Amino acid sequence: MAVQAEEAVVVSAVRRKRRGQLGWVGTIAVTGAALAALYLVMAPLLALLATAFRGPSDLLPFEPGAHWTFANLVDVYLGTNLLTTTLPNTAIFVGGSVAVTFFTAFTLAWLVERTDLPWRTAIFTTILFPLLVPGIVMAFAWTLLFAPNAGWVNVALRFVLGLDGTGPINIFSMPGLILCQGIASVPFVFLLLGAAMRTMNPALEEASSTSGAHPLTTFFRVTLPVLRPGVLAPLILATLVALEQFEMPLIIGFPARISVFSTRLYFDLNPEDELPAYGKAAATALLFLTAAIALLLVYNHLIRRAERFVTVTGKGYRPTRYRLGRWRAPAIGFVVLYLLIAALLPAVVLVWTSFSGGSNDALSLDAYRALLADNRFWPAVRNTFVVAGLSAGLITLIGALLAWQILRLRFPGRAVLDVVSFLSIGIPAVITGFAVMILHLTVPIGIYGTIWILILAYSYRLAVSTRLSRAALIQIHPELEEASFASGGRWLDTIGRVVLPLLAPSLMASFLLLFIVGFREFTIPMILQSEDNWVLSVIMWKLQSDRQTAQAAAVGTMILLFVAPVIFVLRRQLLSRTES
Amino acid sequence: MPNRNARPSRRAAIAGALAFGAAPLIRRASAQPAQGVSPALAELYEKAKPEGEVTIWAPGSPSVQWIPAEFAKRFPAVKVTWLGDQQASSRLIAEARAGRHATDVWTFSLGGTLEIQKRGLLEKYDWRKFGAQDRDIFWDGEAVCNHNYVYAPLYAKAKLTADQVPRQWEGLTDAKWTDKLMSDSFLLPRLGGYLAIEWGLERTQKWIKTLIDQRKLLVTTSAVSNFFKSGERELAVAESVSGAFLYNKDGLNVGYQIMEMVPATQFVLGAVKQAPHPNAARLLIAWLISPEAKMLYETLAGQADIRANSDSPLAKEIKAAGAKVIYEDVETMNQRAEYYRKLMSIVRGQG
Repeated sequence: MAVQAEEAVVVSAVRRKRRGQLGWVGTIAVTGAALAALYLVMAPLLALLATAFRGPSDLLPFEPGAHWTFANLVDVYLGTNLLTTTLPNTAIFVGGSVAVTFFTAFTLAWLVERTDLPWRTAIFTTILFPLLVPGIVMAFAWTLLFAPNAGWVNVALRFVLGLDGTGPINIFSMPGLILCQGIASVPFVFLLLGAAMRTMNPALEEASSTSGAHPLTTFFRVTLPVLRPGVLAPLILATLVALEQFEMPLIIGFPARISVFSTRLYFDLNPEDELPAYGKAAATALLFLTAAIALLLVYNHLIRRAERFVTVTGKGYRPTRYRLGRWRAPAIGFVVLYLLIAALLPAVVLVWTSFSGGSNDALSLDAYRALLADNRFWPAVRNTFVVAGLSAGLITLIGALLAWQILRLRFPGRAVLDVVSFLSIGIPAVITGFAVMILHLTVPIGIYGTIWILILAYSYRLAVSTRLSRAALIQIHPELEEASFASGGRWLDTIGRVVLPLLAPSLMASFLLLFIVGFREFTIPMILQSEDNWVLSVIMWKLQSDRQTAQAAAVGTMILLFVAPVIFVLRRQLLSRTES
Repeated sequence: MPNRNARPSRRAAIAGALAFGAAPLIRRASAQPAQGVSPALAELYEKAKPEGEVTIWAPGSPSVQWIPAEFAKRFPAVKVTWLGDQQASSRLIAEARAGRHATDVWTFSLGGTLEIQKRGLLEKYDWRKFGAQDRDIFWDGEAVCNHNYVYAPLYAKAKLTADQVPRQWEGLTDAKWTDKLMSDSFLLPRLGGYLAIEWGLERTQKWIKTLIDQRKLLVTTSAVSNFFKSGERELAVAESVSGAFLYNKDGLNVGYQIMEMVPATQFVLGAVKQAPHPNAARLLIAWLISPEAKMLYETLAGQADIRANSDSPLAKEIKAAGAKVIYEDVETMNQRAEYYRKLMSIVRGQG
């Protein structure tokens, strides 16, 4: 704690000095980053808030004749089944899928990071693989595998067990939805839990074992309490991620008529031949936004505790690896089962469907030929790369500048900026897409329907970049920057020659993660789509809706081919960060 | 040394550039309509030529993607572009408010056109001079009838014969259809809206609930063809004759059944106010309501005009089957919309 106090004094002193050393370039950069953050995160949210109080429902919120009203709130909360159906469904879905995610991710992280499981590096990479695959692709593949009548797995099970009729597995059910979503979210939580386990001090565990405690006793009474800060934060994050999920509820949950928050919002906004119910959708979104922000505040509190915890005790040792012994075979079986369901089978189904169209006809390259000749495909490829790349770059840059000024400067409104910098992680993508749409319909600046609105909408994910940059900046002692300033270095020199080289691995990791998230994004481009800004995930959905199953699967396969190299770069970045 | 005499003179270069630049204009000006085009259309074509293009917005691609090639055969100087978007109405309203006018022609269902019409975004025009009858015209010419979306169940011919599929909607609630039915989430409540006009809401609600809860009907958000292909389901309840046409065109072997009641959504065409190409818009609409274009609609897109005076083969088939057609019309529109909303909440699991 003494170290922390000393550091706080140094940082405080540096903050006081640094303001005068920014120069005009620095002032423009940090002010620009702050304004950009406010625009990207707060402007859509304020538009959303205003829309919830605009009516009547047969007018768009910005049309002449629309006025301020509480009617949307009254209709949604008193006149619909939001509280009696959608909310309980969402709670069951989120709670169940988070439990599945957490059990699977924790077990995998434990096996990879804390045991002598063989082929750990290869398994680490393979576990990350589903992170690259758009949720819509996974949902589509699982539907083909587990559909009750003709799903491959069900057909095989009926054959092996000698069963008649349908099933035995019905993916179109709440348990099916929970399992699919739970498995789909594993890689993300695995990454966070793995990091926590990797930096864990083994001294207490060793003391417990030396005292003769059973490994399970050590696990429950020592390991878990020690890991608590590093475990609870990913748990809350997993809850937030599940809350915003859209693809699985739409493709797997909807056939079972399971209405959850994200699908309800989607259908309110896409009533097909009526005007979208913007006001009601916004009123619905407010409830879930409030829940998400509450979770976010708890998360932020925990992550601060976790940062403190890691800083004090997280260096200079290598955690002990447990010997699996007779549990080796079951452990390998668990990993193989997960990889089979989450990576291998969906990939096989996807590729097979791209050649066959999902029927038992002869395999052919027709879908690829048609796709490559489709004049929507290459613009969509270009749009996907441009939108994912530019938004990832934009957020990484703004996030790093935000993190730097929040940590290093003292200025009025710093606390507000700090909140804005992490607020985005609590905002579901479906709300963001909606809010950005409302904002740009209300204030038409000419980007509605273009790829630029997608770049702006994707860029709300500032928190990913600010969190990673902040964690890295905490490790860089302010004395280094102070020395540069004292030697006459300008702000730009100091940032370019001192901070940036040290921050580069974190910025790279941030860019890659955001690029992957942007590449597989489905929810936001679905809401903001137009013929001019179609991206691959939307093309895939449209092909699927237009009965072009083989071409839709071919798009999914191409997405895998496009982003597969990224996983290897990402793994190298993550491992190099860990080693450093 | 290059031969100076071999270089073109400046005058020749300018003349060449002008000729090159003017070529499209010359081609456009000289492009004649195909033979057989009526004098009224030919007159409109002359006015539309300088505009050179026309854009049509529709709810989906199947109903419009065939138009550019066929239109170009008859009116080569006017190029057709299209957009298929279910959300076209909110886009048109938003863009009109922002002063951006991107489309010339609107084609949607009557119900889907209502919000556009209410906001005065469609131009009044006298379509009678192009063969439209009074009963084909809505809102004093803001919209004119086009084709119908004819509801019918589809079945996989590999698994079922036409005789096995009932001709009464109630027949689909029979226990033998358990785990065999599916329906598109968008179409099922709309079909229910039409049936409720005849049956009343309570009976229709019961029918849909029986299909979903007891027959385990699979409600899908993606095309039912995927489930036909994989063999997951055998019969799609709320589909259409045009759907069968498109699926069979894609190589899927499906049949349709004409039921005892045939709901028919009315699609209309309208010229958009402040359209960038107003004459080309009128030309496209005038051609699309001609008997020739209607036949093309049926043969190339599977979408027929089945109203009383139609020569459509489908209209004759429905008549021969003795089915009662429930047309979409302005009088029942509000009632149907009310039914639709109530039935939709059942289909979406919100009721």
